[in-house]
Amino acid sequence: MLNKTIVKVAIPVVIGALALTGCAGDSEAGDGGSYKIAFQGPLSGDNTALGENEDKGVRLAIDQANAKGDLPFKLEYLPVDDQGLPEKATAAAQKAIDDPDVMAVVGPAFSGPTNSAAPLFGDAGLTALSASATNPTLTEQGFKTFLRGVPNDSAQGAGMATYYAKKLKAKTVYLVDDKSDYGVGLATVAEKELKAAGVKVIKKSVPAKTPDYSAAAKEVVNSKADALIYAGYYQDGAPFAKKLDEAGYKGAAISGDGTNDVKFIELAGKATEGWYLTCPCTDANVESATKEFTAEYKKKFKVNPGTYSAEAYDLANMIIQEMKKLGDKVDRQSLHQALQKATYKGLTKEFSFDDKGELKIQNVYLYQVKDGKIEYQGAIEELAGS
Amino acid sequence: MSLNEFWDYLVLGVVLGSIYAVIAIGYTLVYGVLQLINFAHSEVFMLGAYGGLISLTIIAPGDSPSALASVGYVALGLAAGGLFGAVTAYGLEKVAYRPLRRRGAPRLIFLITAIGASFFLYNLAGKLFGRDPLPMPDAYENKKVFTLFGADLNVTQLLLLGAAVVMMIGLDLMVNRTKLGSGIRAVSQDAEVAGLMGVDIDKVISRTFVIGGVLGGAAGYLYGTFTQVKFDMGFIPGITAFAAAVVGGIGNIRGAMLGGMMLGIVETLTVPVFGGEWRHVGAFVVLIGVLMFRPTGILGERVGRTA
Repeated sequence: MLNKTIVKVAIPVVIGALALTGCAGDSEAGDGGSYKIAFQGPLSGDNTALGENEDKGVRLAIDQANAKGDLPFKLEYLPVDDQGLPEKATAAAQKAIDDPDVMAVVGPAFSGPTNSAAPLFGDAGLTALSASATNPTLTEQGFKTFLRGVPNDSAQGAGMATYYAKKLKAKTVYLVDDKSDYGVGLATVAEKELKAAGVKVIKKSVPAKTPDYSAAAKEVVNSKADALIYAGYYQDGAPFAKKLDEAGYKGAAISGDGTNDVKFIELAGKATEGWYLTCPCTDANVESATKEFTAEYKKKFKVNPGTYSAEAYDLANMIIQEMKKLGDKVDRQSLHQALQKATYKGLTKEFSFDDKGELKIQNVYLYQVKDGKIEYQGAIEELAGS
Repeated sequence: MSLNEFWDYLVLGVVLGSIYAVIAIGYTLVYGVLQLINFAHSEVFMLGAYGGLISLTIIAPGDSPSALASVGYVALGLAAGGLFGAVTAYGLEKVAYRPLRRRGAPRLIFLITAIGASFFLYNLAGKLFGRDPLPMPDAYENKKVFTLFGADLNVTQLLLLGAAVVMMIGLDLMVNRTKLGSGIRAVSQDAEVAGLMGVDIDKVISRTFVIGGVLGGAAGYLYGTFTQVKFDMGFIPGITAFAAAVVGGIGNIRGAMLGGMMLGIVETLTVPVFGGEWRHVGAFVVLIGVLMFRPTGILGERVGRTA
């Protein structure tokens, strides 16, 4: 009996130990060994465009680091696809976690997936460093290893409000959200800030995938509001913009990073002319600091960098910088501690995190659609003159 | 809401309603001959939109085509939409429903097949054409044409209305005046007896699908012009049009037209009164309200008696 029990316990223990040493052997290969940086985001499905922007940024950073040849190890890349969906995020995260060579993850790209995947990353001690998950509540939940390399939606909502109140001196702002987590979060902050600045706000919801935006657009016109905020994504922002144009809306219009995509213009054409778009991201195609990056990116992928490409590139480089410092002794835990405390001067901004994992500097930038192109205007705080 | 505003919204509602009406006809026709709710009809609509998109992309209209060219492009879009819709509907009947009919499968199996076919088709479209929305190439410059009692009407809206009215009148005449029309009516009244009287049931059913497909596909092109083209664009209009067909009396063609118009108007009026998030609630409250007092819909069931 006793023997049997021992055997019962011993076998799994031995197997477990073997498995562990097997893993350890892989990752502690030392000189000439290899580590991986993963990226989690939508690489298929509805929101592929955004995921691919970041995927390419990370890919470029890793290739450049390897080419430079001063790393004490070889870097590899592991993309995992969550389709931007919370229910697919756990499986995708698990894939990165199960690979013992993965030292850190850039991502998840979206807020919903971050919410479901971050606890898993926390338990595995694997750092998740997102370039674009902007929902403000993500850093309030005590995720152990989540760092946010992007200003959250509060910053964007506040930026829109500042611009309308101080620069355009809007009297009545018509605020529409799309009922998504992202849209409602953005709208709530904007409403609060606008009211604080003494601007009248009319707040409405028009859920995403509404079959016809004509009536909603008519309402905006009838309300006599002189400015509009649309808190949602371009898939719905585009038909809405089209119908606003048809309804004869002449006021200002602004939307956030969910709409800040060339697809917005492709879909709604001339109706988007003059729309303001905000983003916590700088335009890699315009900012002088990112010129070299843009050239390299274009050379490698034959396309211009998109929204969040440069941010993802920066974050991957930040991880590489810290891994380099740790040398071949790097493991998940030490890397997380290092990243939490690190400061990295990237192309787009300076990255450093507070205790909750929130980015310390929260700048938001303004863009405007002019002649069918999204043109960079500058940092909102500077434009609004405060 | 002032009278003027009410008029504005009413016009928007009629435009949307005309689209719903044309799609609803597809549901009702098929129900008439097969007593089947063809849930894949929303995909016929979606593929029609892609048909229009593809044809207009190949023969790309310039920035501002002349009036005559515009008419040609619209006609091409409608024709391509109708063709794609017809082929899809015909294929659906052939592949998904006819084998079931041959084996005398229970009703429920048809319904599940319809839903499965719908899933298959819209995911296939997503795979083939990408899952991002695409803009329908502009076949004309969308100007304001005239003002009717204070409501502005632009080219797209007039096109939608005009095309829908023409299609509905054409269909009504066809069903009531032609040989194929009497065949459809005969099969929907009593398929077995119609068969005994020498009506080729298979042919009639197959053609009914094609007619519904042409209308659905053309409506898809129109709706694509109205908003944008996306692989899952058929779902919401499809469900609403199905509800419209039920409101009017499923199987009844004029009922489907009436129901479509009604739901379009109610949905649109719900927006200023209760807010954009309530639009479907408005429409479905009407559906339930009508069914409580007239369980067979406003005009009652049956294709055979069109009015």
